[in-house]
Amino acid sequence: MVQAVARTLDQEMARDKRVVVMGEDVGKRGGVFLATDKLFDKYGPDRVIDSPLSEAAIIGAALGMAVHGHRPVAEIQFADYVFPGFDQLVSQVAKLRYRSGGQFTAPMVVRMPTAGGVKGGHHHSQSPEAYFVHTPGLKVVVPSTPSDTQGLLRSAIRDDDPVVFMEPKRLYRAIKEPISEDPEYMLPIGKAATRREGDDVVLVSYGGSMAETLRAADALVEQGLSPHVIDLRSLAPWDEEAVLSAVARVGRVVLVSEAPHTASFMSEVSATIGEQVLDALLAPPARVSGFDTPYPYSHDRDYLPGPNRILRAVQRVLDY
Amino acid sequence: MIRESQRFEPFTDEPISVINDAGDWIAEFELDLDQGTLQRFYRDMLRARIADERFGRLQRQGRISFVAPSAGHEAAQVGVAHAINAGKDWVYPYYRDMGLCLALGIPLVELVGQSIASLADPAKGRQMPYHAGSVQLNTFTMASPIASHIPPATGTAISQKIEGKGEITVCTFGDGATSEGDWHAGVNFAGAQGAPAVFVCQNNGYAISVDLKRQTGSDTIHQKAHAYGMPGYYVDGMDVLASYYVMQEAAARAREGVGPALVELLVYRYGGHSSADDDSRYRPREEVALWRGRDPLARYRRFLEKRGLWDEATEEAARAEYDAEFTAAVKVAEDAGLPPLSMMFDDVFAEMPERLRKQRDDVLGGEA
Repeated sequence: MVQAVARTLDQEMARDKRVVVMGEDVGKRGGVFLATDKLFDKYGPDRVIDSPLSEAAIIGAALGMAVHGHRPVAEIQFADYVFPGFDQLVSQVAKLRYRSGGQFTAPMVVRMPTAGGVKGGHHHSQSPEAYFVHTPGLKVVVPSTPSDTQGLLRSAIRDDDPVVFMEPKRLYRAIKEPISEDPEYMLPIGKAATRREGDDVVLVSYGGSMAETLRAADALVEQGLSPHVIDLRSLAPWDEEAVLSAVARVGRVVLVSEAPHTASFMSEVSATIGEQVLDALLAPPARVSGFDTPYPYSHDRDYLPGPNRILRAVQRVLDY
Repeated sequence: MIRESQRFEPFTDEPISVINDAGDWIAEFELDLDQGTLQRFYRDMLRARIADERFGRLQRQGRISFVAPSAGHEAAQVGVAHAINAGKDWVYPYYRDMGLCLALGIPLVELVGQSIASLADPAKGRQMPYHAGSVQLNTFTMASPIASHIPPATGTAISQKIEGKGEITVCTFGDGATSEGDWHAGVNFAGAQGAPAVFVCQNNGYAISVDLKRQTGSDTIHQKAHAYGMPGYYVDGMDVLASYYVMQEAAARAREGVGPALVELLVYRYGGHSSADDDSRYRPREEVALWRGRDPLARYRRFLEKRGLWDEATEEAARAEYDAEFTAAVKVAEDAGLPPLSMMFDDVFAEMPERLRKQRDDVLGGEA
């Protein structure tokens, strides 16, 4: 997945010289995860900008460049470090088009490795997407495959509005699949992917938790069941139609994300299901989440919703 | 890189003035502005003062909800405006910059429209009063969170440096802003990049009620520039020509690619922080009276009168002109009408998301 990021950035920078990359260690180092590998040598210090160690400076300056005609792709080294730049994202970036009446816009991307599973403790493992989804004016994308990363990142760079692009870091080197060499390969932001068609239970997830969700689905198939699996891919906007039509048809749904349970993005999905298709439900929607604790170093894998917890939730929904 | 200055030294012990209280030119260099320009500066200051009075009246009448008085800041703001290549350079102002906005050339009707939130506001009435912006004049729409515009200003300056067209960015703020983390983040990045930015502190000594002694352990604001590798200029901001000339030099330096600068303009705000403030709780009346005696308009008028460039008749005619202009602007701005409810849902994104469309249709289709 991380190579898909680097490849897409390279293609977009080659296509459009307004596209610049900015962040900590993105230059000669190529990014701590190598997401900007080799870009500095190819495009130089004006287009691959090593910033000071300041997330407010990175996000704020990216906005100022976007307003002036550049198309910045800012990198926050870990999503856990975005908070010094949170005011820039929430007060300036998200609201600029609206508060200026469309006079100024913010065509920019803020990339950040997100989520857990790499033994990084609470300051390298969080899933803060709900904060961004809650802010009108931001698009939020969380891909789970190299190919989706490629198609969605390209769409994000070409989008005329700001996109928070969250890359599950435990998937950076976990999935190998061929990626398109087509420099125009794009996926629309806001469209979910159906990973498996089925009739017995709908599993909805995104990002890092897709891996565990698909393993749980495999186990269900081995048991002779037929799960329907949706990868949301985008959280703002999100594909209500894909979720609601599947849930209305199947009647049972399990929502999986590793963010803390309370007020997570899946709380919104669950509420929407309740509002829109309550009559079609055969069981209450079940959520399998991270816990309402800071992310623990010592129980890195226990914190994540693994296949067993997902399967137990499926069982509860089937037995209801 | 701190280059030798042309006319002014950075980091002076005393603020730079070029006109004394009596209205005499005291600088060592020749005054090189023509009569029309000298008069223009005064006219812009007077126009700002009258707008300040008239906006205050609109607020007390309940026609706008808020003002951030700028009286006392006119010399600084007009000096800054005229040192800028308006419409080419970029400006990142803050909410006390009514005089700057006017002198840059933002139409008064737009500024009144912004404050009454009518359709005369290019931002469609989305922000509280005194939060203007203008894409025509490259003037970034103001935001309330203090110093949140500093990193974006730096970004625009970095963008200008890459493009190399000789544009610069000027970013203004008050003394309180210098305590924010984002101020440091933005100024530091500009220093590291050598970006063509001029950071301008209108230091009126108070962030609402907190005076400079409680704001910072630094004796002054401009001295902070040392730490960012840029010159810091200490200027009498009640002296319009000192403000203009120092800003012009800092701007020229940035334009030539030498790097950013920090300019501290010492001013005093005659009004409260805002219409919601009672400054008598924290500022002795004697102090306000003392600074009233140093009014930047009165001082510059003495300078012009000594040169035969201004008199009482011209003053009265100019006052009447700007007063009438304001009255007419209010009428045009009010006649433009209020933004329809449907407009509340526009401009969140380039394209309205489906969910928002449903929310809009629900509101527009039913009883409020």
